Amino acid sequence: MAQKPHMNLAVIGHIDHGKSTLVGRLMFETGAIPEHLIEKYKNEAREKGKESFAFAWVMDSLKEERERGITIDIAHKRFDTDKYYFTIVDCPGHRDFVKNMITGASQADAAVLVVAGTDGVMAQTKEHVFLSRTLGINQLIIAVNKMDDTQYSEEKFNKVKEDVSQLLGMVGFKASEIPFIPISAYVGDNISKKSDNTPWYNGETILEALDNLKQPEVPDNLPLRVPVQDAYTISGIGTVPVGRVETGVMKKGDKVTFMPTGASGEVKTIEMHHEEANEARPGDNIGWNVRGVGKSDVRRGDVCGESKNPPTVAEEFTAQIVVLQHPSAITVGYTPVFHCHTAQTACTFMSLDKKLDPKSGQVKEENPTFIKAGDAAIITVKPTRPMVIEPVKEIPHLGRFAIRDMGMTIAAGMCMSVKQKE
Amino acid sequence: MGKVAATIKIMPEGVETDLKELEENIKAAVPEGAEFYTAEEKPIAFGIKALMVVVMVGDLEGGTEKVEDAFQKVPGVESIQVVEVGRPI
Repeated sequence: MAQKPHMNLAVIGHIDHGKSTLVGRLMFETGAIPEHLIEKYKNEAREKGKESFAFAWVMDSLKEERERGITIDIAHKRFDTDKYYFTIVDCPGHRDFVKNMITGASQADAAVLVVAGTDGVMAQTKEHVFLSRTLGINQLIIAVNKMDDTQYSEEKFNKVKEDVSQLLGMVGFKASEIPFIPISAYVGDNISKKSDNTPWYNGETILEALDNLKQPEVPDNLPLRVPVQDAYTISGIGTVPVGRVETGVMKKGDKVTFMPTGASGEVKTIEMHHEEANEARPGDNIGWNVRGVGKSDVRRGDVCGESKNPPTVAEEFTAQIVVLQHPSAITVGYTPVFHCHTAQTACTFMSLDKKLDPKSGQVKEENPTFIKAGDAAIITVKPTRPMVIEPVKEIPHLGRFAIRDMGMTIAAGMCMSVKQKE
Repeated sequence: MGKVAATIKIMPEGVETDLKELEENIKAAVPEGAEFYTAEEKPIAFGIKALMVVVMVGDLEGGTEKVEDAFQKVPGVESIQVVEVGRPI
């Protein structure tokens, strides 16, 4: 049987709106939790007279096993639907993890936004919708959760749908193309089959909506970009940079250039998993060797691309950012560290061009004197030393960044345009 | 408090770095508030192997910063990269 296509699925939403319960429920209903464990825990639940809470019992028991350090692969949560095989990117709550989500390896292909039918749109709901745009997530499913706590009120559901639609429209999502599904992750309504509790709802279940997601395109038709994680000297081979192919395809014999250094040469050998390969594609972790490129020509944070279309080194760039946290006000001259692909570069805020309404994306103020936590803005930035960054519209994988200062993630953003260094 | 499982890719200084010893040193360097979970060697290329380490940290201010700083100082470590974060079951 052919392998199902894979997708990374982010689960986002306000704290306590039921993200973890939904993740547990999805795994439970798709058979991703080992059968013998479910049977064991169900029996325990039955013995204790808690059969109707079997699902909650299974989740709690798994958590206990994990805490005792004896369970399964905790870092990866996977499940299958009819069409796809999903890995769940279960986003941490604290903003300081946004950096990891931007520079990490697993870009989410789609997201489920969980909004409690009881509470509706909350602060983090807004922040996550804005961030999912910044993180390049273009497909969404809205799960209106805790419908059991609203007595399955159609009115409540419609109110949440209206509010969320407005929010989505403002950041550029087409709400009319996004499924809104009334669910209870706890009870199991509208997850794998249509619930009798919501007779007024005729749309998709969560699993159907997941199957209807569009398969992500592999970015192998974009220009080659391989950010360098490290460079090694291997006896008998020479200099070997290692890194992950973000976009494009690298083939043996290709002419490549490392930027910002400008060192060029022909790809002699490519290896992955210790085996020689003729080509490397997006997602591959590789080591490669380039004729004539020495250890001093390549460093962490450099980017390798085709010589005929080399990576862009920025003199200055404009960016759209959302300020997640900052103790005071950010003004021109601020120089925090930008984490972009494998590079960490101090960059100076040269001008604050526009302040945006984070709810609407509309311009609220031209040339503001300062921006602060909660603000979204368009800014112009100058790296303090040469750095590769690309407009997110051209090469999304090299256009996103996190801004760090004082041990905190200050902001997340994306590069809109680049003034190339001469 | 919620917990976060962070998968961290640790690149050794060279092919001759002893990854078993590196793993022991990494375990010993796990800062307070974080918990070592697993480590696995992953072949990359030309004899270079990465050590993939899973560490549990609190879903709190600072994120993976303390762990990253501590691991970066361990002898034999060339670079570290948090490749994945997620909340465990």
